[in-house]
Amino acid sequence: MPYDRSSKLNCLLLLLLFCFLAPHLAEAGLKEQVSATVLPNGLKVILLENHKAPLITFQVWYRVGSRNEEWGRTGLSHMLEHMMFKGTQKVGPEEFSRIIQENGGNDNAFTSRDYTAYFENLSADRVRVSLDLESDRMQNLMLRQVDFRTERLVVMEERRMRTEDNPQAYLMEQIEATAFQLSPYHWPTIGWMEDIARFTLEDLKTYYRTHYNPANAILVVVGDFQKKDLLQGIEQAFGPIPKGTAPNQERDIDPRQTGERRITVKREAQLPFLVLSYHVPNLRHPDSYVLELMAAILSGGKSSRLYQGLVREKRLVLEADAEHSLLSRDPGLLYLSAQPLPGKEVGEVEKALDQEVERLQKELVGEHELAKAKNQLEASFIYGQDSLFFQAMILAQHEIVYQWEAIDDYLPSIRRVTAEDIQRVARQYLTPDNRTAGILIPLPPKEGKLPPVGSSLKERIVR
Amino acid sequence: MFQKNRKISFYLLLATFSLLGLILFERSSPAMDPVQRMVLPNKIVLLVSEQHSLPFITLQLLVDSGSRKDPSGKEGLARLTAKGLMLGTSKRTVVAINEELDFMGASLDTSCGRDYATVNLRVLKKDLDKGLDLFLESLTQPTFPEAEVHREVEKTLAAIQAAEDQPEEVAEKEFQKDLFLNSPYGNPVEGTKDSVPRITREGIVQFYRNFYHPNNSILVVTGDITLEEVKAKLLPRLTQWPVGEAPGMPFKGEFAKGPKTVKIDRAITQANIILGHRGVSRENPDFYALTVMNYILGGGGFSSRLMEQIRNKRGLAYSVASFFDPHKYPGSFQVVLQTKNESAREAITLSLQQMERIRKEMVSEKELEEAKKYLIGSFPMRLDTQGKMVNFLSQVEYFGLGLDYPEKYPGLIRAVTREEVLRVAKAYLHPEDYILVVVANLKEAGME
Repeated sequence: MPYDRSSKLNCLLLLLLFCFLAPHLAEAGLKEQVSATVLPNGLKVILLENHKAPLITFQVWYRVGSRNEEWGRTGLSHMLEHMMFKGTQKVGPEEFSRIIQENGGNDNAFTSRDYTAYFENLSADRVRVSLDLESDRMQNLMLRQVDFRTERLVVMEERRMRTEDNPQAYLMEQIEATAFQLSPYHWPTIGWMEDIARFTLEDLKTYYRTHYNPANAILVVVGDFQKKDLLQGIEQAFGPIPKGTAPNQERDIDPRQTGERRITVKREAQLPFLVLSYHVPNLRHPDSYVLELMAAILSGGKSSRLYQGLVREKRLVLEADAEHSLLSRDPGLLYLSAQPLPGKEVGEVEKALDQEVERLQKELVGEHELAKAKNQLEASFIYGQDSLFFQAMILAQHEIVYQWEAIDDYLPSIRRVTAEDIQRVARQYLTPDNRTAGILIPLPPKEGKLPPVGSSLKERIVR
Repeated sequence: MFQKNRKISFYLLLATFSLLGLILFERSSPAMDPVQRMVLPNKIVLLVSEQHSLPFITLQLLVDSGSRKDPSGKEGLARLTAKGLMLGTSKRTVVAINEELDFMGASLDTSCGRDYATVNLRVLKKDLDKGLDLFLESLTQPTFPEAEVHREVEKTLAAIQAAEDQPEEVAEKEFQKDLFLNSPYGNPVEGTKDSVPRITREGIVQFYRNFYHPNNSILVVTGDITLEEVKAKLLPRLTQWPVGEAPGMPFKGEFAKGPKTVKIDRAITQANIILGHRGVSRENPDFYALTVMNYILGGGGFSSRLMEQIRNKRGLAYSVASFFDPHKYPGSFQVVLQTKNESAREAITLSLQQMERIRKEMVSEKELEEAKKYLIGSFPMRLDTQGKMVNFLSQVEYFGLGLDYPEKYPGLIRAVTREEVLRVAKAYLHPEDYILVVVANLKEAGME
């Protein structure tokens, strides 16, 4: 899950993953609408005009995320993302967002395993503001001890909020640390608390120098502009930045898993939570589109198999989900997850999930059901286009993971999937030996006590 | 001063409908595509905004039937009634409805808040007829099957239990309960573990009969649909929805007097803090001055004073914000933040200091201008997707803001002065009279 600078964005990111083009537009292809160039200094520029409103989204994506980190310094990419708002010689600390807001825009940033991205959504006639600010902080960031000390505390608070105090998120972190042993996906994007505590300013300076240069960045702008004019502005703003070296992006990938791994997390919680995660390939492998459909068959809508079977018929769970991370630079996981209803046993829920997996392996998916899943993915694709932000995001994610042009393969690849493909892929990847099972075991809360109401804290606050 | 000629000139088309006779007014608006407004003979208000850039359509029906209409002891009824619309009709079972929706890749769902409930449809252009069938059928011919209602009750209870694991939700529920005395606004929309089991199918049917009337509703349509299509496909069926009478329910409610502190002990690493008090209704004429004041205090994202003091300067929190939660009737004002248990007291003190400061000193000219520029300049981004547009228009109608609201908004904000900011801060912020909720490891927070 990407980590961002403020919590607002998080649900947005989850909302839409790969929703982009209307079928009738997609037939024509994005390749015809997008113009992509590489500046002489190595900066990749991807532009898509969309004139439905006088707005633009301006996004700079760096090919650096937690996968580029090393043991002992996990979370450094995300820490640097926070520091990117601490100013340059021209712009004071925290001035960046103030300037954007003063121009009627919203800005933020987010970090994932594979990338760190910065964006501004603003009125099209304010593009100059983004050009100036983003080109400035690509190279001229001031990394000051005083800012770093404070911002590290903020990141620690972020980790407490997202992970330490969230039993399900804590379980997911443990699952990934178990499923990935060699791959840097082993550690969380936000980093281990111990690592956050030991970063040094020198770590950040080195990291910034290594990863923040035009050759390691992608600029994506979508919205109400004329390509020719904007490209000129981009060349003026970013062109003078010296050509850098794109760091080596090769990372280790886990060898084939040879037996089930199973973990538990025990902590105070109301309900258990169960996750079965399976190693799967990424976008570069055609099976990833099959997995995409499989996930839709399992949990796309209330007529899906998990909802019909586990939520409705068996009345076992509050909710159940199948999640596939298509846009992952290295091979990721397919997650089946469920939250048992009060009084239901996790074992019973796991058995029910296993039965759904077996059904995929034994029976061919019916024609109508397959068509339904394809319709759902196509419709989501069209709905997703309504947001300039997501149009840009999806272009950038495809470019980071593989190449932006691969967006044009999405719908045709989905349409090509057959019932036999799904059966084959279910048999190949959804095997017990290839999975990591994680269970949250709730411990009963300590006797919760409500201190007497009505006492004022005010007197005891030091002012 | 704020700026700039927008590149695109907009216009606004206002239409009223009297007994299907169409009267058109034309006006110009700087910020919104044309919107058609009609009042049908059965008094439903219909708003149509054509957006042809993508082949899909979004509908939102707003019914004045939020949880403030819940009978005492049956909290959660309004929400379960809204949910119940999707559980089967006189023609289709819930399974058939879900199957048809999913086959189109459409979504049809409901949500319920304190003031009103909404029914939302999103459907591809090619499936519009089918989508409208399901939408209207669910709205006007729901059957609320007993077994399905029972499932929803069961799921609601489980969700209420699961929410106990989210400290920010625990804090929010506690705050509402403590602030609103004898007021339906004090109850959670989803009800409580005590009230939800008392909700029956009969209660739901009665609630539906009481409140789901066209004369109690607003329908907003946006997307790839023309006014002619709306007239041909939607109007004839919409006008058949018979008028009904909603029981008058005078709003009651008073606010708790502070200062009052409620502490909830949890085995967590952060203190989840809500500090606040009584707020305002959306109709309060000071709403715009309050919007500017609150932007400076804690609404303005990374630029606000609370963010500056608590996050940027001291690293005490990842997120801190303040807001007025405006409703039909006066709602709440809240400062919400999370900080490690040990800094809970410091963060509370800092929050109170900022509330006091903005009541004592006039904000700077620079702060005022920044707030205004953001609020005015970012307005178009509040309308830039179909989903945002239907939410916006239904609220504009519900709160009676007028379809020229986007046109008026910059003027309303520009008119706010430093003196007015000071005046509303004094009038509407009450740092001496707060309700404070802390969900934390109280021992670590030193608040046992």
